[in-house]
Amino acid sequence: MARLSGLQREVLSLYRRCLRETRKKPLETRGNFMAYTRVEFRKHATVSKKDFNAIEFLLRKGQRQLEMYSSPGIRNIR
Amino acid sequence: MASIARQNPLLRQSCLSAFRAPWATKNVAQAVAFHASAKKQILPPLPQSIQGTMNDPAPIPETHPTEGSYHWTFERIVCASLVPLCIAPFAAGSMSPVMDAIICSSIVVHSHIGFHASITDYFPTRRVPKTHTFMNWLLRAFTLGTAVGLYEFETNDVGVTEALRRVWKA
Amino acid sequence: MSALRSTTRLFASSKPLFRPAVFARSYATVDALSQVSATGHTSNKTIQESKTLNVQEPNPSEQPKIKTFQVYRWNPDQPTEKPKMQSYTLDLNKTGPMMLDALIRIKNEMDPTLTFRRSCREGICGSCAMNIDGVNTLACLCRIPTDTAKESRIYPLPHTYVVKDLVPDLTYFYKQYKSIKPYLQRDTKTEDGLEYRQSPEERKKLDGLYECILCACCSTSCPSYWWNSEEYLGPAILLQSYRWLADSRDEKTAERKAALDNSMSVYRCHTILNCSRTCPKGLNPARAIAEIKKMMASN
Repeated sequence: MARLSGLQREVLSLYRRCLRETRKKPLETRGNFMAYTRVEFRKHATVSKKDFNAIEFLLRKGQRQLEMYSSPGIRNIR
Repeated sequence: MASIARQNPLLRQSCLSAFRAPWATKNVAQAVAFHASAKKQILPPLPQSIQGTMNDPAPIPETHPTEGSYHWTFERIVCASLVPLCIAPFAAGSMSPVMDAIICSSIVVHSHIGFHASITDYFPTRRVPKTHTFMNWLLRAFTLGTAVGLYEFETNDVGVTEALRRVWKA
Repeated sequence: MSALRSTTRLFASSKPLFRPAVFARSYATVDALSQVSATGHTSNKTIQESKTLNVQEPNPSEQPKIKTFQVYRWNPDQPTEKPKMQSYTLDLNKTGPMMLDALIRIKNEMDPTLTFRRSCREGICGSCAMNIDGVNTLACLCRIPTDTAKESRIYPLPHTYVVKDLVPDLTYFYKQYKSIKPYLQRDTKTEDGLEYRQSPEERKKLDGLYECILCACCSTSCPSYWWNSEEYLGPAILLQSYRWLADSRDEKTAERKAALDNSMSVYRCHTILNCSRTCPKGLNPARAIAEIKKMMASN
């Protein structure tokens, strides 16, 4: 596998953190969180890897969302 | 002068044109928006990095008075003392080598502090740690070079104030 | 001081072509010819207004005073699209006197997708801070220049991450504000157990400090803050910091000073004075920073 750029590594680390957060959710809704994460990342999979501004924005947005959804009050997602 | 230049775009343009080829100054917009235009962007923004959650305070740096308040006080003392020091030899008309030495050393210290501040501003450790270290060493080398040069000039030649006077009279 | 400032502003906005250089508030200039000052997000590739759709005034009056507004647009729902400048032409006879009125009118009658923050529309909340004709100011306190030949350009605050259109991301600004502990810190009680009293002189020290509404106009106009916003606190936060340092009731002055005593927090201020120049409330953050430096030097 080719060496990843800093931005690519950041995206992967965000994805990993998202998946880790899903494990803290209740067992029955875990699948929903997992699916949501996957859909959100897939949605922007077509962004060109040279479009740094878009990727950086999406990272910022992703971090916000992760912070919000990782609060223990949120138990399910549809 | 600087403030007037800042106020007046035309003057500012003329100030900037000193650093450029004369034909390049046709582009007024570029000259006017010197530090605001996209082309001259000095440090492009990084992706936002937020430590902790949104509601945590930003990290508070360690207390370091030698880099903070003491440094500032020292800098101001050197600054303020330079004014009378520069006037004194010409007003008094005396060319004492001790005076010369004091002037030279304070000028060297003053410029070192000034350049060091610019390096901290434009080559931040956070973003370009290696360049930062390199520039700092380069600055030290230059300062040392200047100091040695001035020392040679003072001991083996006439000294700064005397040289200035001769140039003035010549 | 503030009276003088407001007259200057009136003067500057009504006669932008003929104002003397002394009154012009020009710094970080974003003039009609050049591009946006470097906003954190893709500013260098902003699509110019000539290539975007011009939205016209829907129903002009009898003798319309048509003025063009160039507004920075960027939609986060299409992150791959470049930000663009969109022109809106408004009839000034049907628009209120302030920039915010124009923006609200655009949003209500022409383009509901235009996004900006606003709340009090009288310079108390600090929500509508933006870069208008190259000056960071509150849209609600900025008069529309009556010169219809010249177009007005509206950008979000410079060097901020853009959330959408004119909405900047001020997360880090607020985090920095939190880091200076902006509240009264005190352990001892008063003798009679009532409120903490101040003499009129002590209270007077807080004038010109407590009025700050944290609109971030000054911080985002400071070049030092542009380059080092992660560590340098910026004029607005330092003004607030001084507000608590100067408070006679606060007992943690030493701790507050220690928190600022490093090379980055305060001493990246090089007295550029953009902050005092741009403050829409007529405050003087540069003076507050100078006072902090004096306080730190005298201990």
